[in-house]
Order: sequence, then structure tokens, then C-alpha cells
Amino acid sequence: MSRFLNPAKIGLLALIELYTNKIVPTSSIVDVLSFITSYLIDNDIINSASSPTDQWQRAESMIDLVVSISDFEKVLTPHTAASGIPGRNLWYVFVDKLWRIDSLDALHGFFDNCSALLEKTKEELRRDAEMGIPPPAPDAIQLSRNSPFGAFVRRSQLEFTRLRFHDAIELWKDFVKYRKATAAYYGKKTPAFHELSFDNVLLTGESEWGQSVEAIASVAYDDVFRDDLNATAPVSTDDIEKILEFQIDQMQKYGNRVPLDIRHRFHNLITDSYMVPSLSHYLSYLEAWRAGDYATSFDYLHRYFDYTMQNRDRSFYQYALMNLAVLQADFGCHKEAIAAMLETVSTARENRDMTCLNFALNWLFHFGRAHSEVTQELESKSQMGTGKESLAFLRSRAKETGTWSLWSSALMSEAKMCLSHGESVATALEHLVRSSQILVERNMTSMIGSQLSINIALWDRLGVAYLSTTTCEVFLQCHARHAIFDDELKVASRQASMLTLKGKYDEALERLGTLDSDSLRAWKPNQYWHKFRGIIELRRDLHHNNLDGAELLLSQLLQSKSEDLEPDLAFSIDTLHVECLIRRGNLEEAFIKVEKMVVELREENKDVALRVRLLLLKAELLDKCGRPQKAFTIVVRATNIAWRARLIPYLWPAIGALANILSSLGEFEPAIQLLNAVLPRSLECENSTMTAKLYSHLGDANVGMAGKMPPKSNKRREYLMKGVEAIEKAFNHYSSVEDIEKQCEMMAKKATIMKAAGDYVLANDYAAAYLALRRDAAQLKI
Amino acid sequence: MSLNDREKSQLRSALQEAVVKCSERCLYQSSKWAAELLNAIPEPEVPLDDSRLSEVSSGYASTVAAPNMDPAEAILESNEISKYLLAKSLFDCREYDRCAAVFLPETTLTGVISPKETNTTPKGKGKGKGKATTGNSRPRNGQAILKISQRSLFLSLYAKFLSGEKRKDEDAEMVMGPQDLGTCRNKQLTTINRVLDIWFESRRTGDGEYMDGQGWLEYLYGMILAKEKNEDQALYWLVRSVHMFPMNWGCWLEMTSLITRVDDLNRVMTRLPQNIVSFMFHIHTSLELYQHDANLANSLDQLLNIFPSSSFLMTCNALLSYHAKDLVAAEQNFSHLLSLHPYRLDSLDHYSNILYVMNARPKLAFLAHLCSNVDKFRPESCVVIGNYYSLLSLHEKAVQYFRRALTLDRACLSAWTLMGHEYVELKNTHAAIESYRRAVDVNRRDYRAWYGLGQTYEVLEMHANQDGIKALKRALLADNYYEAGSSFESAADSMRGDPEILLQIAGMYDTLGEVEDAKAYMEMCVAQEVGPAGGSQDEPVAIHRDSPGGGSDDAGEGSRGAGTEGTGVTAATSKARMWLARFAMRTEDYATAGRLANELCQDGVEVEEAKALIREVRSRTESAGGDGAARGRAS
Repeated sequence: MSRFLNPAKIGLLALIELYTNKIVPTSSIVDVLSFITSYLIDNDIINSASSPTDQWQRAESMIDLVVSISDFEKVLTPHTAASGIPGRNLWYVFVDKLWRIDSLDALHGFFDNCSALLEKTKEELRRDAEMGIPPPAPDAIQLSRNSPFGAFVRRSQLEFTRLRFHDAIELWKDFVKYRKATAAYYGKKTPAFHELSFDNVLLTGESEWGQSVEAIASVAYDDVFRDDLNATAPVSTDDIEKILEFQIDQMQKYGNRVPLDIRHRFHNLITDSYMVPSLSHYLSYLEAWRAGDYATSFDYLHRYFDYTMQNRDRSFYQYALMNLAVLQADFGCHKEAIAAMLETVSTARENRDMTCLNFALNWLFHFGRAHSEVTQELESKSQMGTGKESLAFLRSRAKETGTWSLWSSALMSEAKMCLSHGESVATALEHLVRSSQILVERNMTSMIGSQLSINIALWDRLGVAYLSTTTCEVFLQCHARHAIFDDELKVASRQASMLTLKGKYDEALERLGTLDSDSLRAWKPNQYWHKFRGIIELRRDLHHNNLDGAELLLSQLLQSKSEDLEPDLAFSIDTLHVECLIRRGNLEEAFIKVEKMVVELREENKDVALRVRLLLLKAELLDKCGRPQKAFTIVVRATNIAWRARLIPYLWPAIGALANILSSLGEFEPAIQLLNAVLPRSLECENSTMTAKLYSHLGDANVGMAGKMPPKSNKRREYLMKGVEAIEKAFNHYSSVEDIEKQCEMMAKKATIMKAAGDYVLANDYAAAYLALRRDAAQLKI
Repeated sequence: MSLNDREKSQLRSALQEAVVKCSERCLYQSSKWAAELLNAIPEPEVPLDDSRLSEVSSGYASTVAAPNMDPAEAILESNEISKYLLAKSLFDCREYDRCAAVFLPETTLTGVISPKETNTTPKGKGKGKGKATTGNSRPRNGQAILKISQRSLFLSLYAKFLSGEKRKDEDAEMVMGPQDLGTCRNKQLTTINRVLDIWFESRRTGDGEYMDGQGWLEYLYGMILAKEKNEDQALYWLVRSVHMFPMNWGCWLEMTSLITRVDDLNRVMTRLPQNIVSFMFHIHTSLELYQHDANLANSLDQLLNIFPSSSFLMTCNALLSYHAKDLVAAEQNFSHLLSLHPYRLDSLDHYSNILYVMNARPKLAFLAHLCSNVDKFRPESCVVIGNYYSLLSLHEKAVQYFRRALTLDRACLSAWTLMGHEYVELKNTHAAIESYRRAVDVNRRDYRAWYGLGQTYEVLEMHANQDGIKALKRALLADNYYEAGSSFESAADSMRGDPEILLQIAGMYDTLGEVEDAKAYMEMCVAQEVGPAGGSQDEPVAIHRDSPGGGSDDAGEGSRGAGTEGTGVTAATSKARMWLARFAMRTEDYATAGRLANELCQDGVEVEEAKALIREVRSRTESAGGDGAARGRAS
């Protein structure tokens, strides 16, 4: 196997020669040239704007071209040739050209002649002039030496001279094999064609050697004639490396796995080449990692770095450690990961590898944020300082060294920290804008995913659901194909969860279903995806009051909680667990659970939003127990925090809870005022459950007001009607999320109010509707 | 010479025996040669079943070990059969030292060698231990050697010899590296020599004659002596060996390498047994001496009648045509050979030389492809590939492959010479000279190397011209001397030399200012074209350094059987003629100048210049005549 050359490249050279000889007609020049260029120029420029499947297509076509000549046929058959026998298409001319290379010597000659395709240097022109050779005609196509074609021609020539004789023979034999597929076609069109035409020496020698020509041919071409099933594909190291790099690039950039059939074909190629670049171990490592096979990936990582510890006078030890740390962290071995990363930091410092050092520090910082329990003792001992300081340090370092991605990610982290500490939204926005400027200036498409997900979170927290959906949509439409698959998955699940909040469960599930199944083959995204689906199903089951199904799902979800690496998922599973307990009526246990979560949160110093949510949950529990007043301080605190941090989606329920407490104290008037002020804003959040709850509080308050009015007065009637109206709205919102229990509750309330208002017919109707709802619910459960 | 069936079957059984015996002694090449020849005898037409059965019962039962005719030896052999088998297996595994130690452990050897040292001068490998032993240990140790059968003794000593050769190659390290000066010696030679010496001494009968052995130890002794440059003695032992066992081709080859002249060969032939192998030896050696005449062709034809498909004889045939400069026939012969034995790489390097001269690029490429496919690490393959690259003007690569050939086999003569040529192309004169010198050291008969050496000296110009002339003369000698049958100086007039070389020598004399010598050589050069076959000649084929006389294409002349044919007009002779004409002009020998110029015109070479010369001659003679007339009138 040669380093660079293979039969396919000879084919490309021949095609280039046809082009410079003006045999390609003007109309087909674009097709032919783009076909050639697609194999000569790296994929980045050409294919960046296509979908992931197209990207893999490229790898596939590269393998195809190496393995068989039919790709040439597909491209060339539709075109006619500009000269030669009329009626012959370009494919024939091409095949004819290949068959004219009719001996090993002719192959040498072919490569020799390649220099004629190139533009002559001044030196050569001068020498030609001295020798009396006329300069080439001005209209002749000549390749400039540094053009892609020129470079390819020169490289091919150089590589050919570098070949040892044995390798030249191998190339020749591979070429004969590669060309053999066209023998039938060419033989039909060429009368002089003979079985031995592939080597002219044999053909002419046949008269001399007679019968024994076959024996000689078999000595020279041992297995060319046998249609060997395990015949090896003529692949060069260059191809292998190209394909390897492409795959690794894809995996690292988009975080997905290699499609199965490409992997099989590639595997065949690798086994055919007897020199396997060590990069393939890295590929196997990535594959195993993505597949979630810890032991194998660990093994391959070690193998790769054992082979490349010292490459081109550079030590790669720190990168090995870094990869190891990332791997360990990914599989939940946090202690080992931290140890490895600290080692990385010291090694990188020793080797003065700034990029590696910066990356490692950045990673350590994020890891510390995500898993504070592991880094806690570390931070107290080392000089890392608090998060803020290290971030500022990272930012300044990034600025100094010009590592833009680090800079912007530091800015984003700062924005995130601002948000989660409940600090000024304006500061967070400023950071975001600065990071966005860097991204746009440096065209770092791969970072846009994280930028936009912070954006989405920001709008969410500000309660502008519409903007956050739009941002989601923008990301999926415009940037998803540059971004790592994880980002796409997160955003898609974000969308799905928004749909769930609106009660569109089927749509949400469908949204998740449209994700690329191939990308989902990676282990971690797959886990995430499954869990997210589980959560949606769980929510639906809870709302349908299908508690048995919900508990089944919950038991599955809770099982893997300890190794659940996504804190937000874990939190929502916990809250759903609490909700399930509430619905079961097991308030005591629910309360214990919430208390535990509060304690955990306090220890870990997490996001304020989570704290507010827990406070609200607690208040709701107390409300359920019939002791709403007890929750007063809790609710006020929650409101206060939410207001200060501008956590709008939690501010409204907090205020709703406050209103509820007011109602329970008999202060209906202020409660109504509060709720009336809040309701329109809460509609913006597009959270049906929340709105429904507010409406039901409003209904309660109104009915309470009605109670204060003199009986049978118009006022009382008016308030009662307002109450019914509010409860009707609450019912509608509850029915949009398919919450059966609440629907029934609302229906019962309505019936009661009607009864109180003396409208028995309507009360009866509502009661009947209540029963029908119950029946439906029972059927739904089954 | 044709054989009847009985003789054929005798020959067959002799060859079979030879194969077995050679492989018993691990003489692989000889056994290969014999086996090839054995299979080249056509099978009898209708072999009767019963006769075959009887044959099987009579002598072909065992091919693993041939019975020994000498009863004493047979007893010895049967006694030590297990040890012998061990030694042979070790030899096959290339563990030479261990193999030698099976029969000749170091203690025995020191015992054998050192008493001699105490008796005679203590030179050579002095071993302290040996000096302590007293003289009376000698018969005991001599006894120790005698107790071993000849077969085992041969195997042990041969293993020892090969291990020495291996060491020698290892010591020389890289080809043309700092260690590779051709000075490395095989350190085992002395030991083996001594042992054999003792062995033969002990077998000397009362009247000073040696008892007849089996032939193998004699062969080894001859080989060792030849390595030590004791050539007469070596030849004596080798001749003894072939008398006892004529089928050992290796022995004949050793003799060939000792014979450097035709008259040597003729002298030796009288001492040789008259059998079919010595016949072959004669042909082979003559070819090695670059002979080609009708007699040779005739005897080769006779042999080919007996062995119609023998690859060895076919190679000889092709080489014969090649030496006769009949390239087309040579090419055909080799091509035919290739078709019969596509896996056989031996002597394909000659074929590649022929293809090179014929400038048959595709075919040479194919041949290189074939060789490389069969075995890319054979010196022959490397030479073929090197030749191909040389034809493509990729001289660095060619050098690389010739070097590889030399790494594989340092005695590969053609590779040394060809590498020299490549170095000339690369303008690395010193390396070229070294390569040629090594080639000449390996084989003094190779005129191409001498020629190259001379040419390279000429390139160096300044001080080496005298040496160059000497080297070129050597080239002439190698090329030609044997045919002339006497020393060069005395035969200078009648000799048939290569005009190209002669022209070159003359030119060098000219640059040295030795005009007389130059003139003599120029005349000699012109004289080469005189011959019955002179006159109109074919166009010269490509001029190649392998055939410095490439210009003299006399295809088919060999078949015409002319003994003293000339080369006809060639570029070289024309140049010489032109030089002579000019020289005559300078010395005012106008008549000669005019004659030569006319000849040039007739030959149609450099007509313009010749005509100019003629005009000048005319004007000079006229003016001279005018002067004479004027003078006459004046007187």
C-alpha cells in the first residue's frame, strides 16, 4: 500500500489530463471539474451547509471511489466528448485513456508526462527558448503550479518517484484490478481488445510464449485474475488518514457516532491496508466512548496514546491526561477525573502548552460548578479561589493568548453565574452580548449552541416564553447543523417541555421523535433522550391521574438518579415525584422529600430558581394540608427572591400563593387585586397549569367576596358570576393540560357555586358533567 | 552426441545420486543444479510397468540417504547417524557454529591444531591452551578426526566455513561503508585448512600418494586454498575432487573461477575426466571467458539434444548469442527460457542487460515486475530493477537497488560494475572508481569493469591518464586476449580489439602528447574494420556501456563462422580515420590524408568534413606541386 497514490488517483489524473487536452466539452466542464475538486479539496468549505446525512455521504463516496471505478462512470457517461470518434461519450474516452496505460513502463511514462500538464516556470521557459522549443500555445490549458490541480499533479508525481519498485508494482497491479471492471465495456467498443490487453508485454509476448503466457501472467499478477472475494481494496495511507480524520472531526464536532454501514465499509478498508495509522485507535476510542462502553474506550485511549506519546518532537502526555479526565467524568468517575485533570494542569504548565492549560482550567471550573461536592475539598486547599475570581482570571488569560472560544465561554459562564445567583439581569445580558460579539467576529459557529441556550434560559426566566420559543426555533433552523448534537438535543427537549407545559404532549413527543436517529446512537444523548421522554410521559400520566403508570415510570427514572448527570433533569424528576406523592395523598412523605431537597440545595449553593421552586412546593404542600397561613413567611420569601432575581415564571405563582393565603385570612379584596394584576402577565409565560391555578385562586377569592356581600344582593350574584367565570377559565386551562383531577375539582366548584346561586338546573348539569369527567378519567386510566 | 536409453538411465541415476549426496552435505546450489538437469532429460517414451517396479526395488528406494560404497565409511556413517541428523538439521536452520560443534567441538579442534603449532612456528591463531598440550597428543587427536566419517567431517567444516563467511559479511557492515574495504577475511579459513591438512596427511600412503577419498573433502580443501589465493594447489585438489565425484557442480564452478585465460582452460581440460559434466564445464568456462565461436555453439547444441529443456544450457545458449553480440537471438533465448521456467530468477540479470541494450523498456519493466513478484530480495531481482531504473534515467534509485543486490550478495559481480556505471552518471567519480575496482577484485576477467575504470580515469584527466590507459588495456585484454592466444604486445597487429576501446586509448595518448602511440592505436582501430564481412553494415543498435562495441553490430556473423571477421565501419573507426587524416595533414603526408578522406567519403560518415579535407589536401598538394615546379624552373 502506498502512502498517497492509488488507482482512483490515477483515474483523477487521467481525467485532469483529458480536461487539459480539451476533450471535455465546454458544457460539461463544470460537472467534471467539480467532481474532481470534491476529492481534492477538504470537505470543510464545500459541505458545511448540508445536513448531517450529507456529510456522511461524502465519506461514503470517498470510499466508493477508492473501491470501484463506477463512480467515474456515473459522472462521465452523460457527457459527450469534444473530439475523437463521434458518438462516443466521455466515459469511453476516459476508459480508453486508462487502457492506453498498457504496461508498467507505460505507467511510469504516464507519471512522467504529468509534468506537461503544468505551467512552465520561467526557468524552464528560458531553457526551452535556448533549446529552440517554442512556448506553449496561448490557448492551451495549463495548470498553475499552486492551483489545487497543479498541487495534486505535482504531489502525485512526487509520490510516484518516492515509491519503491515493489510499491510501484503493487500500484500497477491494483490499477489493473481497478480497471478490470471496465474490460467488458471497453472490449465491446474496441475490436482489437484481447483478454491480455491489460498488459501489452503479455499481449505481444503471447506469440512468443504461446501456452505458457498464462503461467507467466500468473507469476507476475498472482491474484489479479482470480475473482477473490477477500481481495483487498487498493487504498492508500493518505485515504485512510483522510477518512479517519473526517470521522474524528465529525464525531468531535457534532458529537454523533459513525453510521453503521459506513463503519462496516471503513472497517473493511482498514483491514485491507497493512499499515494502520494509530489515529484509528482514537476513532475506536471515540466510538466506544459514544457507545457508552467504558472499558473499551478506556483501553483504546490508552492504546492510542501509547502509540503517540511522542510525536514530531512534541509530547502529547497532557492531552492524553485531558482525554482521560473527560472520559472519566463522562462515566461518572468524578474523583479520578479531577485527579487526571489536575495532573493535566501541572503537565501542561511544565510543557508550556497554553491552549491545553487554558482548556483544562476552564473545564475544571465548569466541572467544579456542576459537581461541587467533589471539588469542595480541593478548593479549600488550593489557590483556585472562588468561581468569580477564577472566571475573571480565565477571561483575561483568554484575551492575552487570543483563544477566542475560551474567552467567549468564560463570558457565557459569567452570564450564567449572574443568572443563577439572581444578580442583575443587565450584567448577564452584557456578558452575553460581549460573548456574542466575539462569536460573530470570529465566526465560531460551533459555540453558538451554548450561547443560544443561555439566551433561551434568559428569556424563560424573564417569563417571555414567546421569545424563548423563537430563539429555539432560530437555533434549530439556522445553527443546528454546525453545532454539536448535544445542543440540538437540549434545545429540542426544551421545546418539547414548553409544549408539555401547554399540554401538547403528543406534539412534544413527536418533536423528540424527529431527532436524527443516527445521532441518537451515542450513549449519553440517548440516555438523555429516553429520560426526557419518560418525564413527558410521566407528566401526562400524572395529569391523567394514572398514578400506577406514573409510579412505574417514576421507579424507573429514580433508579438511575444517582448516576444522572444532568442536574436539571434530576430536579424535574424529583418535583414530579413530589407531585405524585401529593396526588397519592401522601403529604407527609412529600414534605420529607421536599425538606431533603432543600437541604441538599443549600449545601450545594445552587441556582436561585430551584430554591424558589422548592419554597413554592413547600407552600403548596402546606396549602394542601389546610394550613396556608403557615406558609406565609415562605411565600413572602419566595416572592421576594423571585422579584429580585426577576424570576418571572416563579414570581406569579408566588403571588398566587400569597393571594391564596390572603383569601384564607379572609382578605379577599387585596387577593383579587393581586391576582387581577398578575394574571395578564402570567398568560405571557404560556404555562397553563400556573395560569389555571391563578384563575382558580381568583375564583376562590371572588366567591369569598360574594360571601361578604349581603345574601341575594346583586353584588353577591356579580361576585359569584365572576367566580364562576374565573373557575371556568381555570377549568379550560386545566383541560388543556388534561389534568383530570383539577378539572373535576373545578367542575365540582362550579356546581357548588351554581347551587349556592340557586341555579339548580345548571348545578345539576355541572354535576352530571363532573360524573362524565370521572368516567372518562377511569376509561383513560384503563 | 546422443545417448541410448541405457546410457540415459545411467545418467539419470547418477544425477539422482548426486542430488541426494549434495543435499546430504548441504550443498544446496549444486544439488539444485543437478536436480534441474535431471528433470531436463526427457522421460523414456513407454516405460513398462514391471521395469519400473524392478527399478524401484533396485535402487530408488531411499532418496533420503544414499548408501556409501566404501564399507569402512558406511560403518562410520551408520554409527553416527543420529549425530549426523542433528548436525544436518542445525545446518538447515543456519546455526552453523552449533552444527560444526556437533562433530568438531572446540576442544577437539584445539587439540588438532595446536600440536602443529608447537612443532612449527607459532603463528596464526595462537591458543594458550594448545601450547600446554604435548606432542604425543597429536596422534590421538588425529585419530579423533579420522573416527568421523567423511560426510560428517565435510558437513562440520563446511558449516564452519559458512559461519566464517557470515561473520565476514557482518564485519564489512554497509556496502561501501567505512568497514567495507574488501579487507575482511574469513577467520575460519586457517582452522579448516589446518584440519584438512592433517586429515590428508594422515591418509597419505607410504609412497607419498593420497588415498582416494570421496571427493567432497578434496572439494572443500580446494575451495579453502583458492580463498587463500593458493591457486595451483587449489586447482590440483579440485581436479582430484571431480575425478572422484564428477557430479558436484560447485566444484566445477570453483575451477571456473580459478581459470582466467583460455590457454589455462585448455591446459586444465587435459587433466580432467572425459564425461558429460566436464563437457558442460568447458562450455560454461568458455562463456565466462567471453568466448563465442562455432565450436562452442556446436557442442552446446549436442548437449541440448540430451537435455532439451535444461534451463542451465539454455542460459548458456543465450549468453553465447549475447557474447556474439546477437542481441535479438539472445533475447529470444532468454524469453523462451522465461516462458518455460517463470519462477526461475537465476541469470535473469543477464537478460535485463540485454533488454537494456535493446532499449526495450516495457519488457524490462515487465521482467522487473516479475522478478520482484517472485522474490524481491534476490540479488538478481535487484539488478533487474536497477537496470530498469537506469533506463529511466533514475540513477539514484538504480544505485539504491544495486546496493541492495550487493548487500544480499557481495560477490555479485554485475551489480558492482553496474553501480560503477550509475556513479559515473551521477558524476560521483570516486565512488565509481571504487565500484569498478571492487568488481575487478571479484572477477579479473570482466572487461566491462576494466573499461569503466579506464573511462573514469579519463574523466579524472589530470593525473590519471596513464592509469586509464593501463586499465583500458586490461579491458582489451579481458575482452580479447584469450582469442588471440598470445600476449597482447606481440599480437598487437593481428589482434581483433574493440575499436571503441582502441579509439579511447589513442585519444588518451593524444592528450598526453604521445603522438606516436596515439597513431599506432588509431591505426589499430581502423584496422578492426578490415575483414571479409566488412563493407555495408546494419545500423548500429543503441550504444551501451555493457557492450562498448555496441556500434559494431555484426548480428549473424557468428553463425557465418568467419574466424577473423572485422567490425566494419563504425563511428569509432571513422573517428579514428578522421584523426589519422588530420594527423597526416599535420605531418604533410598529403597522399595518406587524401586517401583517408576519400575513404571517409565512401563510408558516408562525416562527408562534409571529409570533403573539406580533400579540398584542402588538393590545394596543398597543388601549391606544393607548384612550389616544386617553380623550384624546378628556378634551378
